[in-house]
Amino acid sequence: MTRIRTVAFIIWIEMIRKKDVYVLLILLGTLLVALVSLNIFGLGGVVGYVKDVGLLMAWIFGWILAVNVSSRELPQEETRGTIFPLLAKPVTRFELIAGKWVGSWSIVAFATLVFYLLIMGIVLARGGAFSPVTLVQGYILHCAALGVISAIGIAFSTRMNHDAAASISYVLTGTAFLVIPRIPEFMARETGFGAGALMFLYNLIPHFEVFDMRKRIVHDYGTAGWGTFFLVLAYGILLISLFILVAWLAYRKKRFSRGDLG
Amino acid sequence: MKYAVEIRSLTVIFSSRRGAIKALDGLNLNIKPGQVFGFLGPNGAGKTTAMHVLLGFIAPTSGEARIFGEDVSESIARQRIGYLAEHPDTYTFLTGRELLVMTGHLFLMKGKHLRFRIDEVLNQVELKEGADRRIATYSRGMMQRICMAQALINDPDLVILDEPTSGLDPFGRMGIRKIITGLRERGKTVFFSSHELSEAELICDHIAILSKGRIVTEGKASDLVEAGESLEKYFMRTVCAHDEDQRSELGDQARILREL
Repeated sequence: MTRIRTVAFIIWIEMIRKKDVYVLLILLGTLLVALVSLNIFGLGGVVGYVKDVGLLMAWIFGWILAVNVSSRELPQEETRGTIFPLLAKPVTRFELIAGKWVGSWSIVAFATLVFYLLIMGIVLARGGAFSPVTLVQGYILHCAALGVISAIGIAFSTRMNHDAAASISYVLTGTAFLVIPRIPEFMARETGFGAGALMFLYNLIPHFEVFDMRKRIVHDYGTAGWGTFFLVLAYGILLISLFILVAWLAYRKKRFSRGDLG
Repeated sequence: MKYAVEIRSLTVIFSSRRGAIKALDGLNLNIKPGQVFGFLGPNGAGKTTAMHVLLGFIAPTSGEARIFGEDVSESIARQRIGYLAEHPDTYTFLTGRELLVMTGHLFLMKGKHLRFRIDEVLNQVELKEGADRRIATYSRGMMQRICMAQALINDPDLVILDEPTSGLDPFGRMGIRKIITGLRERGKTVFFSSHELSEAELICDHIAILSKGRIVTEGKASDLVEAGESLEKYFMRTVCAHDEDQRSELGDQARILREL
């Protein structure tokens, strides 16, 4: 555990020193304040609108950050050559993968927490309110989704460079977010092979929509049932474990060489 | 006898677009504990590849390698190793001291013991003053020294150095030589590759010359080199005797020099 924590901690220090997260947070914070200040269709004063826009931005921001950070870590170790002294220590490939996941995910979860607090601050300042339990549930499931995205980014980055791993992770997770929830509609119009293929796709790609409690938070539908909540959380943990396993299988025998055979 | 390094029939084949490249061809090697072992060979001979197998970066195509009796594929084999790569690449956003703390944690060292050991290695590599500065601000020599310090943090029994003096000025080279001599005095095993043959001659108990992935000769430098001959001359003679490409290249160079 110490080794996993150390690998994760290095990511934290790098993010803090290189100030990437600050820039993104300030940028998105400014954008959020600007958006909620605009009086679109006269909705500027409606607290629900602020919650809706704020949470949507938190999801977009978390998604971008999760893909970027997770898919960058392993290729970066290789390009800057730090993988050599790191693997020369008694660190297993699994510990390295797990450490990278813990580091990437915890940074993104922390940044998302800051964003949630910012949204809460704006809503409270406008006289609105949140159900704290629903909000905590929403945040935890949001973090579970970010954990899955981070694991996907790491899995792809074991065998690809940063750009390729990030692109394919964006496509996969973006499809999962936007297209997968609509597949049942498409299936209703298909028969035979088409319906079968859609069903296969529907079951293959992670269902991020189950982690999304935005509507519940925005419209005050109340807390989710605890049974359902833990089931979704277990689904998230299962997906994370699965993608970490895939990452480890792809990485455990990977050869590292400088290219010259000296 | 338990060797510090034991390599048996080690073969490594890399697949590339131009076909398979045999980097190591049935390599056999034993290094006794406490030896300073010089691993010499021309570029592309397979020195770094052999080291990378020992460190677990590359799984061999066939054969086996052990460190103090442990199979190199097990992470426990690296518990007693210190490694300095040819290129001193490290986390430049950390300070020197932070790098050593992180490295110590990877060896499960902590608390007072780790703090004491950090001060000790900083003294050993003479980097006490710059330790709290970001590594990004270090010179090439300081970078090499902090990387050496992280290689020594766990007080390793086997230190693997891949061309440790490459790119260093004479003072830097002397510093590295001093560290290696110090390690020898403390009974540590040092396995290092170098193109600086005069350096190898000076500090090695034993040398092996590698050509095309095989050891072509090994022994004490004083036993191998004939009277009045330098190690450099012996090295070139030996490599050319086993490597047609090197021979023709050397022939071309000799001809050009004669023509000039």
